[in-house]
Amino acid sequence: MDRSKDNANPTILNASDLPSRRRELSAKKRDDGGTGLFDGLVPAYNYLNDPFDGPLSSSDSDDDSFEDIDEQEIYDLIAPISDPEHPLSLAELAVVNLPDIHVEPPTSPQSSISTVVVEITPTITHCSLATVIGLGVRVRLEQALPPRFRVDVRVKKGAHNTDDAVNKQLRDKERVAAALENGTLMGVIRKMLSTCE
Amino acid sequence: MSDIQQYLLDYDRSKKDASVTAEASATRLQNRELKLLSFIQELGEYLVSEDGAMRAKTMAYLAEVLSFVPQKVLSLQQRNLLCDFIVSRFEDSEGLGSCAKALIALEELGKWEDERAVMITESLLNNTHPLRQYKSASERYAVLRLLDKMMANYRDVLRNLQENTPGFLSRFIAYFDGEKDPRNLMMVFSILRAPMAEWNISADAQELFEAVFNYFPIAYRPPSNDVYGITVQDLKDRLRDCISATPDFAPYAIPALLDKLDTPMVNAKRDALTAITSVASEYGPRTMALYSITLWDALKFEVLNVQEESLAEEALNALAAIARTLSQGTNGPLQAYLRPIAKECNEHLEDAPTKQSQASARFLKAIANVSPEVTNIVFPNVLPNLLVLYQNADTTSKRRGLLEVFVQLVRADIDVYGSWRSLGTADQSLANALTEYKDQALDVMLNGLNSAPIKEVSFRLVCLDGLLQMSKARQLLSDNQIGEIIQLLHSIVIHEESYGKDEVKEAAINGLVEIAHQKPEIVIHKAFPAFLAELPDKDEDGSKAYVPVLEAFAKLASEEQMFGTVILRVKNKFSAAVKQGATPTYLVALLSALLYALTQGESRLQQDPESSTYFQDIVLPLLQRAASSDSTHPAAFDNETTLDLVGRICNLIVRPLNLEQHDKVAVELYTLFTGSSQSALPPFQVDSTSEQGKTLIVSTHVLASLRKEATLPVDLQVLISSLVDYSQIPSLSPVVRSASLRQLSLICNKFIPASSLKSSINQLLHDPGELFSLEKLDSLRIRIIFAILKGVVPRNSPFLSTIYPEVLAFLSHPQYGKTIAHGFTTLLQPDDLLTKVNHCQISGLHKQKSFALLVPNITAIFSESSAETKPNCLIALSGILKWMPFDIVVEEVERLVPLLLQSLDLSGEDLVKEAAIDLLLSVLREKPKVIEEYIGSLISRLLNNSTTTATRRTVGSSNLTAAPLPPPKVRTAALKCLTLVPDKLRHETVLPYRRQVTKRLTFALDDRKREVRGQAVKCRRAWLDVDEVDDDE
Repeated sequence: MDRSKDNANPTILNASDLPSRRRELSAKKRDDGGTGLFDGLVPAYNYLNDPFDGPLSSSDSDDDSFEDIDEQEIYDLIAPISDPEHPLSLAELAVVNLPDIHVEPPTSPQSSISTVVVEITPTITHCSLATVIGLGVRVRLEQALPPRFRVDVRVKKGAHNTDDAVNKQLRDKERVAAALENGTLMGVIRKMLSTCE
Repeated sequence: MSDIQQYLLDYDRSKKDASVTAEASATRLQNRELKLLSFIQELGEYLVSEDGAMRAKTMAYLAEVLSFVPQKVLSLQQRNLLCDFIVSRFEDSEGLGSCAKALIALEELGKWEDERAVMITESLLNNTHPLRQYKSASERYAVLRLLDKMMANYRDVLRNLQENTPGFLSRFIAYFDGEKDPRNLMMVFSILRAPMAEWNISADAQELFEAVFNYFPIAYRPPSNDVYGITVQDLKDRLRDCISATPDFAPYAIPALLDKLDTPMVNAKRDALTAITSVASEYGPRTMALYSITLWDALKFEVLNVQEESLAEEALNALAAIARTLSQGTNGPLQAYLRPIAKECNEHLEDAPTKQSQASARFLKAIANVSPEVTNIVFPNVLPNLLVLYQNADTTSKRRGLLEVFVQLVRADIDVYGSWRSLGTADQSLANALTEYKDQALDVMLNGLNSAPIKEVSFRLVCLDGLLQMSKARQLLSDNQIGEIIQLLHSIVIHEESYGKDEVKEAAINGLVEIAHQKPEIVIHKAFPAFLAELPDKDEDGSKAYVPVLEAFAKLASEEQMFGTVILRVKNKFSAAVKQGATPTYLVALLSALLYALTQGESRLQQDPESSTYFQDIVLPLLQRAASSDSTHPAAFDNETTLDLVGRICNLIVRPLNLEQHDKVAVELYTLFTGSSQSALPPFQVDSTSEQGKTLIVSTHVLASLRKEATLPVDLQVLISSLVDYSQIPSLSPVVRSASLRQLSLICNKFIPASSLKSSINQLLHDPGELFSLEKLDSLRIRIIFAILKGVVPRNSPFLSTIYPEVLAFLSHPQYGKTIAHGFTTLLQPDDLLTKVNHCQISGLHKQKSFALLVPNITAIFSESSAETKPNCLIALSGILKWMPFDIVVEEVERLVPLLLQSLDLSGEDLVKEAAIDLLLSVLREKPKVIEEYIGSLISRLLNNSTTTATRRTVGSSNLTAAPLPPPKVRTAALKCLTLVPDKLRHETVLPYRRQVTKRLTFALDDRKREVRGQAVKCRRAWLDVDEVDDDE
């Protein structure tokens, strides 16, 4: 077998129990309590789509409304990252949890910089890969968020024996940059991110 | 020149010519023109030649001649002489392959006596041992074929030889040592298989095993010029057959295979696991009993610690194979094998839900569905413990983990004992091993589903699944118990408040449908009254509680035995609701349910349309109500949606009826069985009321359902011109206008005979219809033109080649060019009325034809036309391409790409852009090479359609971007297309753009729509990965 695992038998969450946005959406959409079974009976293109009437666009009328980047969106970005030890996602292993993600608005009206704080919970308190997981989350967010966000990834207080040391490493910009130069480490992280769709 | 001389001369020059010579010699032998003796004598001279190659060729001649000689030409004596002669040639180191071929040919002429077979084998082994001394693979192949033939035809003889000759087998095995050629190896495995399976090999078992196992695992890649077509899988299969040939191999095979499990190579491991599976199935219960526990101890790690999913599955197959084999033997060994498995699974269950408890579920499921013997041992060893753990569990997630295991066991139980409707693998008389635990398990899950908080979605889903599976298991639950389950399910559907994605409700409905498949009468008895009680006759309070109930009800119709009952009940409810004056919303819901149910059971409507009463019971009352104008006319029937549903329901029922009945319906097409006068009704009466106009919605669907042979109520030309006039009334509602136009399409498609198609259409377009007259063109007339065309296009009429250019000419019309351009999208757009089931004429090639007639013309017009007309061409083109299957478009794709790219610059035409991006996406996927030369303009256009370069917005401030962006759908599509670029085009083409693209995409990451941002993230990742490919190489 390959290298022994820190935690060979982690607890696993079920996919339907993970927080998701669709839940609120669909609940909002259907006020009649149905599942929309009859919606497909009459094809939509029959009467609605008359191409002769004026300039046609596929625009939904509420294009002007903003959908701000929120905690759930951050969660959706990092939830599918896979654990370096198990073929399971960080969400299934409860390493990242929705309540542990915070988006902090800019501190002053002049500033446009928001901060995203993500606290990760390793599956066991002596997990030697906590730093790698933290780094993976960080890389993912830096790739996926616009530059007006600062990313702060930490280990949740008390979730790790040496959380201070790990946090120090994750916060130190130079060490992070140096780590990302390391080919083997980047290889591991790339593999972790490969499950992100 | 003698034949042999000729043969030797041709041999090196042309094998084919040589064969002709040999065939001629054979014919001469057959005709007695050539005596066998002189034939052999002629060879003599060359067989004593100093030149080895010459001797070999001579033997090849002999072999070939013999292969051409038909049966009964040579006498037994002659054949024996020849045989002795050939065998004597074994001593010569040249020409062995030809000797073997000659012997094969001889054998085919007549079977040998036993002694002769022995003699040949013996002298082969004595003179040519080991075979590897012969360097030519094809020479060895001939010998192997000879031996294979001997093994097949002289099986007993050779077995006796082995039993009476000490040391024979070991010499025989060593004979094949060192063979490497894949084709020969296939032969060797096949030859050795017989001694393995049939001979008494006790002393030589190890040697024999190692002779084949040395080749394990097989790593062979067929050469690119491979002519024999032997795949690595062929070799693997044959080798595996050898390994599993006899239980005598077990002491060597099982340790050796387990040893291979330690290799890090996945392929070798997979081979070892499949070999273990076949060994476990073949060695028999007595042998497997000795190794079962060792195997379990080794195999379990593949599942507990999954390295790769396929390996875990194969390990489970192996474990199941062991259980299956042991079930054939006595109970003791099976017990001894299953106990430790059950014990270990029980231990893992203690801390469910974990990775290992999931693995336990897999073990138990894999093993329990093997046989009733296994379930009889596994269930008592696992279930009591599982139920105790469940009672003492402190978290819901643990309970869920435990129930997941239980559900797997019930599924296994169904595999073994069957469901109510199908038999399992076990003997029917056996009692279901689950019986003892059913009451407790039922309690636990009913309780769990009923009393757990609704936010425990996954837990409740597992309970529901468990209940469902138990209700399916054959002879397990009583009807009362199943009734209890049904009651719980329908009360979830009816009473439970909605939560989240409503997964539980949906599962409950689907569960009811599944139970209905097994036990229809209980569902009708239990669930129907409950559902009907929830459906009011009149909806007064505005509550929509009936919607989920109707959905569930309609879904049940998909079950064969429920169909009739569901239709009847919904129909009655509808009549009652109409009488009580219910709101259109409620009536629409009821009609939707009815339509859904009918669509589900459409095949039943077609089975026996004549004897069904649905026309009398459903269609007639609906039509009469829709068309009535007196006080009986329900207000709800003025609703256009209601009428559309009515039309669709009638369409489904009328469609399968016979022509005679269609004629009866056709007469009433516009009067709709009301007895009123047709001429006073639309479309014949232009001044009719808007209520009367709405009946056209219904008649459109009825018209669609009729066969094309049916007789229309008025003369065809009168009907057409009435519809044309009616469609031009400016005050029509969009739905009624559309109905009237669709009637035109249907008539043009079905009812105008092919012979008069051209003249009828010409009358409309030119004289006297004048639809094509430039002065009279307006948007209503354009609609009519396209409605007519829409009906004609699928008929694939040759007439199209004259109409299309006329329509295309309108693209440059200053006022209506754009409207015409937009019309093209309607032509090929899928339509739910113009279909084959509606008896329409739909030619299989009509899309190709329209493509060929339109697309080259449009590209030509495009290149010649002015700047004002160009956008119209692009719009028309997009309208056609949008509905074209990609394999038609692909032919012209090189010429289309520049036009597609230009479509991306149009402003305001978002649908056109979307279609263009979609098509570019397909081109990228299927023919990326075509796009490569346009990569720069493709990338910049996609970026322009997905991001701005304007300063990024700050939170709270209003967004004042410079250029307006296309809507989110286009932005997303553009990003999707851009995501594919680095994946499909060559690395060096893409790399120069990487920096630019990833930089621009940071703006898309800040898009105001979440959907766009999500696609931007994927896109940026794909582009960020671009240069990292280099690191790997």
